[in-house]
Amino acid sequence: MADQDQKSGMPPNDEPRKLDRRDLLKGLSTVPALGLFGYAWHTQRAYQQAAAEAQVATTQAADVQTVNVALLGAGAQGQVLIDSMLRIPGLRFRAVCDIWTEYNQKRVVNTLKKFKHEVNAYEDYREMLDKEKEIDAVVIATPDFWHAQHAIDCLKAGKHVYCEKEMSTTVEGARSMVVAARETGKLLQIGHQRRSNPRYLHCYNKLLLEAKLLGRICTVNGQWNRAVTPDLGAPDRYAIPQARLTQYGFKDMQQFRNWRWYKGKGGGPIVDLGSHQIDIYSWFLGANPTYVTASGDNLYHDPATHEWYDTVMVIYDFATPAGPAKAYYQTQTTNGSQGYFENFMGDQGTLLLSESEVNYAGQLYRDPNAPAWDEWVQKGYISAPKEQESKPKSEGAIADVRESVSPDQHLVPVTLRDPYHQPHLQNFFDSVRGKAKLNCPADVAFETAVAVLKVNEAVEAKTRLAFKPEDFKV
Amino acid sequence: MDEKLSRGALVAITVLRVFVGWHFLYEGLTKLTSAGWSAAGYMKQARGPFAEFFRWVAANPNMLDHANTVTMWGLTIVGVLLILGLFTRLASLGGIAFILLFYLCNPPFIGYFYSIPSEGSYLIVNKNLVEVCALAVIYFTGSGRFAGLDRLVHLLFAKQNRLAVA
Repeated sequence: MADQDQKSGMPPNDEPRKLDRRDLLKGLSTVPALGLFGYAWHTQRAYQQAAAEAQVATTQAADVQTVNVALLGAGAQGQVLIDSMLRIPGLRFRAVCDIWTEYNQKRVVNTLKKFKHEVNAYEDYREMLDKEKEIDAVVIATPDFWHAQHAIDCLKAGKHVYCEKEMSTTVEGARSMVVAARETGKLLQIGHQRRSNPRYLHCYNKLLLEAKLLGRICTVNGQWNRAVTPDLGAPDRYAIPQARLTQYGFKDMQQFRNWRWYKGKGGGPIVDLGSHQIDIYSWFLGANPTYVTASGDNLYHDPATHEWYDTVMVIYDFATPAGPAKAYYQTQTTNGSQGYFENFMGDQGTLLLSESEVNYAGQLYRDPNAPAWDEWVQKGYISAPKEQESKPKSEGAIADVRESVSPDQHLVPVTLRDPYHQPHLQNFFDSVRGKAKLNCPADVAFETAVAVLKVNEAVEAKTRLAFKPEDFKV
Repeated sequence: MDEKLSRGALVAITVLRVFVGWHFLYEGLTKLTSAGWSAAGYMKQARGPFAEFFRWVAANPNMLDHANTVTMWGLTIVGVLLILGLFTRLASLGGIAFILLFYLCNPPFIGYFYSIPSEGSYLIVNKNLVEVCALAVIYFTGSGRFAGLDRLVHLLFAKQNRLAVA
């Protein structure tokens, strides 16, 4: 027994003894595994970092003028914009400003550091504007009720501004932004990013204007349905001190995290979700609405925490250059069925599209009585029609004579491979460099803000409200 | 131990311990280094007898914060300890606790159908459960005392030899 233990290096049980060389070797025998792990981890991380850096643009791109950028508002949307901007060549991040210094500010600063952007962090945007003289452009992604003041102060400080939609929670706020942009001569792009999306541009320029595939558009419908969003919450250890919350217009941390639920902070679901798509209604129809009818209610949520309605259904009247049209829009925040899309219906065809690359990524239906679309297939504007199934779906079913013949289905052959916000930001920075025109300047976005904010008035008034042409002018 | 393990078995268990430790360490470090990682998504779609508990944790910011911190650091620390063979039995127990929690959060019980992709097809027994058993083996054989820092700790500080023997 003792002999065997001796051989295997094991001491006899129940007998304390001193360490020997063999114990030391055995004791330390698995330490190299930790070293091997360290090597594997480090090598793998280096590959991952290289892959991530390959995705983002090099700031030293020789052929583009460097633009110095600051981010004002480093919350969820600010982080989405940062992800897009990191892929745009020629940007140098200089500063990040967010009142949640304990969390969001740190997170974005760290992300930028990872991509070799050394930025200064600020809680107060005024201090940032005072100190960061070399900034060319500020990207604003703060809560809606701050947009007007932030954008105007940045413009007056001589910066070009990209501001998230909605321009403001009030028409007056939005109007003052347009005025500030005009007075300062600085650029003000509003974040209706579909305006720069290649698929939307293709649909508008090629399919609607040039090919006139839909014929006379009489009706439009669209929606953004979203499932119930829980309270975003925040752990106590990251809580913003009450004095700072009050200073920046928030009742408490709960309201800070869920500001979209509160009147005066956000503009309600029609602004949060609908604004993007109602912007497309006006753009594609080539007109602003003349009337709006809306019904909205808080059907589901506790009114103590959700001051806004959670469901709204809207009907706009349009006087388009081609004739009258009606457009329906709904948004509900209690169920996400069918997500979001816009559907334009003309006497010759239908265009169903959305920003998503997965759902409703551009489908066209040709009315059987409309002229053939072969020419546009040949030009590559649309895909060849999907072949129809020859067999009836269920045996024995007899088609009613009143049923419409199925239209041909085509696809819009344009795909966006970049993050959704990237083309719009790219358009902004190209404009800052003087190489492009803004796709959604403040005066265009103002028209959308007027159309959208009127929905909230119509919900309150419970009646049809009229727009005057001068409502859309600044 | 009354019945001694063969040398081959002890070596195999040591390798097993290092591999399980490696897995824990990588899981932990990956979570620690990915900004904003949270167990919320995993816990929100919990099934089984403890589903309510996991959902409650996911919905409570402070609890979630603690759960995230404990998971990230816990996995990392257990991983390092298992690789080194240091406090092996404590680390094994910790590892078992973690994995049982993961297992019980989304158990592959009869009659449950998940929409999220899993890395394989399971019924009742999944890789989590297998790893729990691996840790149980490591726990009961006190593998660190055969090859690991526990051997040194034990020889330096213990009053009685209780080394894993071949």
